[in-house]
Amino acid sequence: ARRRKSAARGPEDCIPSPPGYAAIPIKFSEKQQASHYLYVRAHGVRQGTKSTWPQKRTLFVLNVPPYCTEESLSRLLSSCGLVQSVELQEKPDLAESPKESRSKFFHPKPVPGFQVAYVVFQKPSGVSAALALKGPLLVSTESHPVKSGIHKWISDYADSVPDPEALRVEVDTFMEAYDQKIAEEEAKAKEEEGVPDEEGWVKVTRRGRRPVLPRTEAASLRVLERERRKRARKELLNFYAWQHRESKMEHLAQLRKKFEEDKQRIELLRAQRKFRPY
Amino acid sequence: MGPAPTGEQLCGAIGEPEVMEPALEGTGKEGKKASSRKRTLAEPPAKGLLQPVKLSRAELYKEPTNEELNHLRETEILFHSSLLRLQVEELLKEVRLSEKKKDRIDAFLREVNQRVVRVPSVPETELTDQAWLPAGVRVPLHQVPYAVKGCFRFLPPAQVTVVGSYLLGTCIRPDINVDVALTMPREILQDKDGLNQRYFRKRALYLAHLAHHLAQDPLFGSVCFSYTNGCHLKPSLLLRPRGKDERLVTVRLHPCPPPDFFRPCRLLPTKNNVRSAWYRGQSPAGDGSPEPPTPHYNTWVLQDTALESHLQLLSTMLGSAQGLKDGVALLKVWLRQRELDKGQGGFTGFLVSMLVVFLVSTHKIHTTMSGYQVLRSVLQFLATTDLTVNGISLCLSSDPSLPALADFHQAFSVVFLDSSGRLNLCADVTASTYHQVQYEARLSMTLLDSRADDGFQLLLMTPKPMIRAFDHVLHLHPLSRLQAACHRLKLWPELQDNGGDYVSAALGPLTTLLEQGLGTRLKLLAHSRPPVPEWGISQDPPKHKDSGSLTLGLLLRPEGLTSVLELGPEADQPEAAKFRQFWGFRSELRRFQDGAIREAVVWEAASMSQKRLIPHQVVTHLLALHTDIPETCVHYVGGPLDALIQGLKQTSSTGEEALAVAVCCYDDLSRLLWGLEGLPLTVSAVQGAHPVLRYTEVFPPTPVRPASSFYEPLQERSSLLPRLDKPCPAYVEPMTVVCHLEGSGQWPQDAEAVQRVRAAFQLRLAELLTQQHGLQCRATATHTDVLKDGFVFRIRVAYQREPQILKEVQSPEGMISLRDTPASLHLERDTRQLPLLTSALHGLQQQHPAFSGVARLAKRWVRAQLLGEDFTDESLDLVAAALFLHPEPFTPPSSPQVGFLRFLYLVSTFDWKNNPLIVNLNNELTVEEQVEIRSGFLAARTQLPVMVIVTPQDRKHSVWTQDGPSAQILQQLVVLAAEALPMLEKQLMDPRGPGDIRTVFRPPLDIYDVLIRLSPRHIPRHRQAVDSPAASFCRGLLSQPGPSSLMPVLGYDPPQLYLMQLREAFGDLALFFYDQHGGEVIGVLWKPTSFQPQPFKASSTKGRMVMSRGGELVMVPNVEAILEDFAVLGEGLVQTVEARSERWTV
Repeated sequence: ARRRKSAARGPEDCIPSPPGYAAIPIKFSEKQQASHYLYVRAHGVRQGTKSTWPQKRTLFVLNVPPYCTEESLSRLLSSCGLVQSVELQEKPDLAESPKESRSKFFHPKPVPGFQVAYVVFQKPSGVSAALALKGPLLVSTESHPVKSGIHKWISDYADSVPDPEALRVEVDTFMEAYDQKIAEEEAKAKEEEGVPDEEGWVKVTRRGRRPVLPRTEAASLRVLERERRKRARKELLNFYAWQHRESKMEHLAQLRKKFEEDKQRIELLRAQRKFRPY
Repeated sequence: MGPAPTGEQLCGAIGEPEVMEPALEGTGKEGKKASSRKRTLAEPPAKGLLQPVKLSRAELYKEPTNEELNHLRETEILFHSSLLRLQVEELLKEVRLSEKKKDRIDAFLREVNQRVVRVPSVPETELTDQAWLPAGVRVPLHQVPYAVKGCFRFLPPAQVTVVGSYLLGTCIRPDINVDVALTMPREILQDKDGLNQRYFRKRALYLAHLAHHLAQDPLFGSVCFSYTNGCHLKPSLLLRPRGKDERLVTVRLHPCPPPDFFRPCRLLPTKNNVRSAWYRGQSPAGDGSPEPPTPHYNTWVLQDTALESHLQLLSTMLGSAQGLKDGVALLKVWLRQRELDKGQGGFTGFLVSMLVVFLVSTHKIHTTMSGYQVLRSVLQFLATTDLTVNGISLCLSSDPSLPALADFHQAFSVVFLDSSGRLNLCADVTASTYHQVQYEARLSMTLLDSRADDGFQLLLMTPKPMIRAFDHVLHLHPLSRLQAACHRLKLWPELQDNGGDYVSAALGPLTTLLEQGLGTRLKLLAHSRPPVPEWGISQDPPKHKDSGSLTLGLLLRPEGLTSVLELGPEADQPEAAKFRQFWGFRSELRRFQDGAIREAVVWEAASMSQKRLIPHQVVTHLLALHTDIPETCVHYVGGPLDALIQGLKQTSSTGEEALAVAVCCYDDLSRLLWGLEGLPLTVSAVQGAHPVLRYTEVFPPTPVRPASSFYEPLQERSSLLPRLDKPCPAYVEPMTVVCHLEGSGQWPQDAEAVQRVRAAFQLRLAELLTQQHGLQCRATATHTDVLKDGFVFRIRVAYQREPQILKEVQSPEGMISLRDTPASLHLERDTRQLPLLTSALHGLQQQHPAFSGVARLAKRWVRAQLLGEDFTDESLDLVAAALFLHPEPFTPPSSPQVGFLRFLYLVSTFDWKNNPLIVNLNNELTVEEQVEIRSGFLAARTQLPVMVIVTPQDRKHSVWTQDGPSAQILQQLVVLAAEALPMLEKQLMDPRGPGDIRTVFRPPLDIYDVLIRLSPRHIPRHRQAVDSPAASFCRGLLSQPGPSSLMPVLGYDPPQLYLMQLREAFGDLALFFYDQHGGEVIGVLWKPTSFQPQPFKASSTKGRMVMSRGGELVMVPNVEAILEDFAVLGEGLVQTVEARSERWTV
């Protein structure tokens, strides 16, 4: 009931927010009664830590609801000043996410949950304006509707139907680049062959149809195993009296161990009343 | 804000640590006492979890004592293993009477003795004049016909002796019976009392008088009548002490004649002692035909005379040998778990004791043997000896006056003579009961020989109730129909012999009839034994029809079930008439392909499920034809559960045929792939990886024929899209097929590049299939969808070295090692293990035709309980496969019904915490390997998932249960199964019909905090719901192939998309439960832990809000906004969001 009252009091009252953050109520549309809260703060890092986000111009936003897209966040905050970029991420992360465009064929977008956002304004004044924002912000309005539910799923499905030509083009360009890279590496390796490094070591590689033993863990384990077996074959078993005695003792120890195990098992079954036949 | 901690099962369990509680948590006094005693030896298992044993070196290698060596040797010789020895000892401890209780019983017996001898006598009256009986007591006998000569008077018994298992120390808990023989004084009896039930009438009157006097005594808590061994001519009086001992002991009083009163030669099985003239009330037939022998009647009289001699024999043989007594006790437990010892004509503990005596006297058992060895020997003997053909006898004398065994075989179906050579101990045991015993013994012997680890558990601790042991069960109800059946079968002599008990009289001929009719379809036919009633002394004895119903269990032979034809002899053979007579109007002349003209019966059955129910047709036909039992009295329980896995429109098939069509189409496709020309690399393998391709998809796919007006066409990509203004289109799930390409040096050695090459192959595959075979294809980066004959397949190209490339890690020294990564494990699972599993289960289906039905019913049930998302398809399939590969102590199920019941039993009783479920596909694991797996499991228990399923391909990781279920979810399933099983069994065993079979499939909804109701318009599989809706929406399908050849809408299921969003957004606050087969409601359960107020943390603000509580700023879930989010995210799909506010406090 207290919750309801605080919501009814409206945004004029101070909404509790963690120290250093400002809270901005956000709703999907006007129809909703209760709202989520964006917790915003000017992006800043401790001395010595690196961050790719521009200091002072970046707004750090927590608790962005799943239906809020980068575009709608940019639109909602544009009232505070021109927005340069909006980046939604799953977790707070100091570094900017890799800018290279990830292929939509090979890395499909995950389903969004609650996210964090880094909003970069053109000017530092945008950040301070955003911190004073009262809200409530509306994600979906008449002029800018945001799709959800059935609408969204149908359009997602339409988007997911692939364009084979685009895929082919992407694969071809990637493979061309890849082949080129491999060729370059090989050329470089050939160049280096026979050339001593600064300490004077020369790297020798055998090329040809029958490669030498590969340098893998599995291969080295195989070799060790073979050695062990070879040694074991030479050993005599149960030959000397002490060997006899020891193997007998070993058998007894096994039996004892088994007995202990069984006893423990029985104990457990008894505790579970597993010996009541009916 | 947090959920109120009221005692909801699931709600309460969520917060508990990740340790599953055993289904039967016991904190018994005995257990505690014992564990504290042994604490010095073994650490008590923590939280019911087995720990690997750690023994110090000194303890392992210390010098053995003589005693220890002896013990070890004894274990090796007398028992199978030390575990078995301990288990047997524990069990015996559990069933044996404690000394303290024995003392209490002895005291009670002395009291009984004193009171019985003090009962006053009454003067002599005519037998028919029963006016002297006091008002409060009725004669415990049906006096039909009433008129009988003779006089009766009551005199206190001449002798009171305790007989039976109590004295021998072989009686087992929980119900202790002490048999007391009361020797009636000679003055009561007259000459020729053996005739015409006179002896039995006197016996009954004797008991009635006794009962009247004892009932007034405050010593007794209850005094009532029952029948001795269910024989309705021989009542006995049951006495139970008053007070807390009432359940401890039942004293049974059996009056018996003075020794040597009856002349044994009068009671031979060939003699008549019930005269037709008296019994039928008519003068003997004029033709002078001999009176029919009354072997059962004679046996009942003889039994009373032999009580003491049997006791003497048993006590001399078993008296001093503890091993033999243990063996008898174990055998009694064995019989009881199989429900063989109860009821009239059961294979009682007394019979087993006598059997042990027989084996001792024939030197097959030695008195020094252990209980386990006795059990084994007796089972071995039972398994190999058919007493219905070769009877045995304890009698050693070669007196020529004794009757021959053949005489007994003539009169009785099972023959086991006692030491006098005149009394058949197995007189009441029917042939089918004995065959059932034999069958069980054979099964148990194979189990013991297989050296299974949990043989003890399966042999002695697993109950085998009829409904779970037999494939089909049928009830005959009401029983009074059997009276007419007796007349129809002309069983008058038998009725006369049985004193009018038409149920016993009809049982034998009835089972023979059905066995003959079912022939090759049948493995075993068993019947329930009428329960022995108990009734108050002031009531009349219950009538024969009051025992409810007669239940028959059929164990079917799967290979016999496929035929719809009953082939008879050639028309001109003399046997043809017999065949015609047996089958009646169903028999017809048919000409076969080889030109023969034969008599034959053809049953109507098109689908597998109907063929499984042919026994129903056979049974009803034969019963109506030969015994006048109409169809309405035969309640056949074989397929009521089939309705849950039947297709939407067909009610005649349970989907095996539809699945076979899909598999057939897949075979065609794989041939096309093999023969594809123009691929840069050749196809090296095509493997199915979808539940349809292993016959375990609950609802088999149907060919899709989309109606174009229903969709938005996307011509340039030749696909259809769903439309906003129409209901959600039909759900089409593509069937995954993995297509391996040959290895080649041309494959790149870089994970990203391999992905691109695979994508190129997908594109090429689509192109070639369209060009060469005209199939509609659609390629994406990871798969190619192919539309063939209305089925959609999803072909995934795989390169076998790719998982290895993903695993490669280069160490700083340049050494390449392989480390599992999530991506590599995932890929390996999808492209290697899944196809292997699919083909193994496909093979299992060929071996066991019922597998498909069982697996699908099981999956259906789990999903209907809204738990389907937590269990992978594969894990449930494997559990179902375990029922077929490890059916002990049962046999592999031949009907979905019995398989499903055993699934519920397995789920509700399996101890997942301490055992892996080993599914030995293709029998690849040896016994030693299984032992190794078990010990490896114990050592690594904490790292393994809560539910561990081991297959030969997956010995360590249990890949199919890696991602769930959690301990709480599994526990919930266990609880649900434990509730569903007795309920369903009760429904199926109800002779009046099972009622609403869907009850156990409806989920309990009151445990959820929030219910999200969905609109049926957007649930594509709405019609698959457990309670199928009467009307639903059109899903845009044509019944005939339409002109459209565009790719239909694939995998579009709004509820699933919605759930994915919900789980992503609110997964750490709540759990979501949904039945993918047309569920209309999503259950939401808040996680109590995330409702604890938490301090502010930037990384965990998801869906929470800051509140000041007690001056401190804490974070709590923003429940009201979240509830509105539920509606926002599912706009169009969600009808209402019902919050049950009482569950979480604001």
